[in-house]
Amino acid sequence: MKQNLIVENITKTFKLSKKQQKLKHTHKKTITACDGISFTAHQGEIYGLLGPNGAGKTTALRIISTLIKPDSGYVEVGGSDIFNESKEVRRKIAFLTSELKLEDHFTPNYLFTYFAKLHNLDEKLINQRKEALFRRFGINPFKEVKVSDLSTGMKQKTSIAISLVHDPEFIIFDEPTNGLDVLTAKNVTDYLLELKNQGKTIILSTHILSVVEKLCDRVGIIINGKMLVNDTLKNISHSDNYIDLETLFFDLIEEHKGVE
Amino acid sequence: MRNAFIIIKKELRRVFTDKRLIFTIIILPGLAIYLMYSFIGNAIGNTIEDVEEHTMSIYTEHMPLVLQEAIKDTESDVIFTDAKSVPLSLLKEKIKAGDIDLYIAFPPDFTERITAYEDAATTIPTVTIIYNNGERYSESTYYKVQTALNNYASSINYDRFGDAMYPFMQETTISVDEDKASGQQIAGLLPLLIIMFLFTGAMSIGPDSIAGEKERGTIATLLVTPINRSDLAIGKVLSLSIISLLSAISSFTGILLSLPKLLNQEDTLTANIYQLQDYFLIFITLLATTFVIVGMISMVSAFAKTIKEASMLILPFYFLSIITAMSTMFAPEPASDLVLYLIPIYNTINVLIRILTFDVASIHVILLVVSSLGYTGILIYIINKLFSSEKIMFSK
Repeated sequence: MKQNLIVENITKTFKLSKKQQKLKHTHKKTITACDGISFTAHQGEIYGLLGPNGAGKTTALRIISTLIKPDSGYVEVGGSDIFNESKEVRRKIAFLTSELKLEDHFTPNYLFTYFAKLHNLDEKLINQRKEALFRRFGINPFKEVKVSDLSTGMKQKTSIAISLVHDPEFIIFDEPTNGLDVLTAKNVTDYLLELKNQGKTIILSTHILSVVEKLCDRVGIIINGKMLVNDTLKNISHSDNYIDLETLFFDLIEEHKGVE
Repeated sequence: MRNAFIIIKKELRRVFTDKRLIFTIIILPGLAIYLMYSFIGNAIGNTIEDVEEHTMSIYTEHMPLVLQEAIKDTESDVIFTDAKSVPLSLLKEKIKAGDIDLYIAFPPDFTERITAYEDAATTIPTVTIIYNNGERYSESTYYKVQTALNNYASSINYDRFGDAMYPFMQETTISVDEDKASGQQIAGLLPLLIIMFLFTGAMSIGPDSIAGEKERGTIATLLVTPINRSDLAIGKVLSLSIISLLSAISSFTGILLSLPKLLNQEDTLTANIYQLQDYFLIFITLLATTFVIVGMISMVSAFAKTIKEASMLILPFYFLSIITAMSTMFAPEPASDLVLYLIPIYNTINVLIRILTFDVASIHVILLVVSSLGYTGILIYIINKLFSSEKIMFSK
């Protein structure tokens, strides 16, 4: 059976506090972060989610990863729906966002084992996974250094390794190369391709259009909570008036400026 | 529950691999309390000793010798100076400045008037005293002079009326259970201090453990793992309880060791009056109360967005507990109605008073433990709900 990730018509509205209204220069008491978003990420593919800040990408990813519930719609991860089988969904996914942080006091080695145990992995498997991922991301030289003493890149590598501790089928990464130097970023993107080739289903949210063009099979562009584009990169590039992804992206942003 | 134990192990590791935290959470409370209370006790003791050793300076006019002898008989040294040649205004200034402790003046014909008391024309003589009640030595001198004057007045009455003045004799024997008397003194202070230190111990780590994880964003890392939210709630509450209990035991030991010094009763007041079973009951009471307090603090921390907000939101619970503790302390007897032993914190104070005064029954402890476990269960349920609430966990 194909391990697809299906998102159908999800909506999510948040109440705005007075402070948030002031920050967003609006008198509206609510904001629709996701407005009928639908897409499918197929097994063995990388699905790229594009959109400016505040477009609703992170909200959509949080819904998929069961951290928050949608007001309406349906999400199925490898046959498990997020409402009734949230624990099963969490077992199947790796979720990494820039907001997911590690505790400063502990070392990568300890945290990896800790999260592996929470995923119910046995000692032997923990050591195998640790060896493979630590070698892949070059974590061994600093595996016993406290997180507080690690650089941003080292922390991000550790976070990625920990998120993949249980060898999940679905990988949801929100800005995984944020703050990384070119070499480390390449290391991460290469690894995503490796995972894709292993048959994993990957959703990648990023601002870096070149990464999308290099890695993604399908692309979704979200602006103001609405999914404006949802197709294969191949189809998009063959559409009328297409110049490149960057031009398409900025044209869409320009088109929907001030439209909510 | 397996995941709850993994979380407990990690939370305990967080504290026990950090020397600074071990010192501040477990060693410092007991040490600080012991040193602070011992210092206060020593300071009070020194003050009393200093007053006792002070040589009283009393300026007199026409003071009967018998009265001077009576004051000299007190344990303190005294110097009497004739005040006849000194102006009253200067005496007052010197008393105010603390150079003189007391001025006492008798009428020149004091003795004659005392002797001629049966003469209708004789008025009762007035003794004038000036002292400074804002000054320790002067005040102490005043009380000693007062005692001597009262005794002197009694002896005059005895001379005048003989035994008829006091129609019966008294013979008083003090019959006291020394342990219970000591227990009453310990129970007068200890329960309130225990509640205070239980709270402060839990408050020092509770907000960071949950609200801190929210603030730093590390809680989301946990929430995307397949563990039950209830395991997370139980793991957090139990680990915090263990750490808070260690902090409370440290404080309790510090209080118990320093209390005799604080009350200046090192010879009579000792923690040895309690047996092993009393300490066991105290431990059970502390444990049950720790669960409730940590549960409350964890609930508030899960609700708060930041450590600062959690610390602020906990304060009303803290003050409410202190007020409850204080009101119970001033009650003449511990509560007798068993239903009252279901009220959190109130039951802790009452059970502690009963244990410390050797007046506890099993039912008191059972009610406290059962109700505390019930409240802890409810609090864990609420924390579990809070962990599941996206509004609480992710609102900014």
